[in-house]
Amino acid sequence: MISISDLLIDNRIPSNYFASDTYVKGDLELGLLENRRGDRLLALPSTLIEGMYAGLKQETGQASGMVLFNCGLWWGKNFYARFCEELTEYYRTAVADMPMVEFLQNLKQCWTTHGWGRIELDQSYYDRGFIMVKVWNSPFAKFAENATTPSCFLESGVLTSFFSQLTGRDLKCVQTTCESMGADCNQFVIGLIKRMKPAEEMVAQGLNHDDIMAQLQN
Amino acid sequence: MQTTIESMFDNAENRYLELEELNILTTYVESLPERIDAYRCLRDQEVTIMQKVADQLETNFSTESQQTLERCLKNALLVMRYAAMAMLRNDAESLDRQLMGWLTETNAVYNTQTIDTVLYQLLNQQLGSILTQAQLTLFRPHLAIAEKAIVEPNKTTVVA
Repeated sequence: MISISDLLIDNRIPSNYFASDTYVKGDLELGLLENRRGDRLLALPSTLIEGMYAGLKQETGQASGMVLFNCGLWWGKNFYARFCEELTEYYRTAVADMPMVEFLQNLKQCWTTHGWGRIELDQSYYDRGFIMVKVWNSPFAKFAENATTPSCFLESGVLTSFFSQLTGRDLKCVQTTCESMGADCNQFVIGLIKRMKPAEEMVAQGLNHDDIMAQLQN
Repeated sequence: MQTTIESMFDNAENRYLELEELNILTTYVESLPERIDAYRCLRDQEVTIMQKVADQLETNFSTESQQTLERCLKNALLVMRYAAMAMLRNDAESLDRQLMGWLTETNAVYNTQTIDTVLYQLLNQQLGSILTQAQLTLFRPHLAIAEKAIVEPNKTTVVA
């Protein structure tokens, strides 16, 4: 028999932890923006992103993408740890015991609340060893000028780290479409490093997303 | 507090409120005692009414797993709490923004619309027995938004 009192542990039911109304706080007198547990948040000026892109291009040329990807790897590693810590603390359950649908739903809400755009996960290629991620309104694509190849290197790095740690495998994320090139959204494919190597080459050759996916599955 | 009033306060940064704006504020303030009474009733009767719903739900879906029924009931408890707060603030958008986008996508995976449909019928029956007609008029629109999003997810657009 179901007891409602038993469902209400400490009279609370965990819900949408990253809901923007409750997640973002501020102590503006001290010049602080914080999340709901007191970690500092920063509002990143768009001109700073533009400046980073321009500065890196000037100093490192074609290597700037690799630099940003590595920055993303570092960011993703810490982001994953903090994300899991926050979920564990709030839901009072280990991330490993959390239903995957709730974990991913939290990732989506977290992404949106931080202003990184809207993220969707497509698991239709999951049984073939790939995870597809789509991002709309990415701030990192928006400020890439005259792009001829996908330019969300930071996000590719973040997603590489995040899903590598989530699955416990060495994965690689490759971006196949980009808003900076006029696409509707930014699409990312994540898979084992050796399986993603051809994808990187196909992106460099300018193949479109569908052709890349078709060849990856061969 | 409802979004209209919040933005009204923000917009009146360096001026007095217009007469029309003051009327909106007065209407809301005059409705507050009723809203607070309804909120208090929902808060105090939460376990009682939801237990009745749970008992009936178990009878109606005797072959369904307890875990599934508990998940539906937990979601309904959440919806009731958020809807009650939305009624108190007269802010339907907060319910959408904070909960429904998140909840409907999660719920869709479990495919429990049949159970949820019956659950909300039972819940509405219970509400009719504890709230006055005036309180129901204040509360039902908020619950209806949530109910529709959960029971008919494909016909509802929620802000994710």
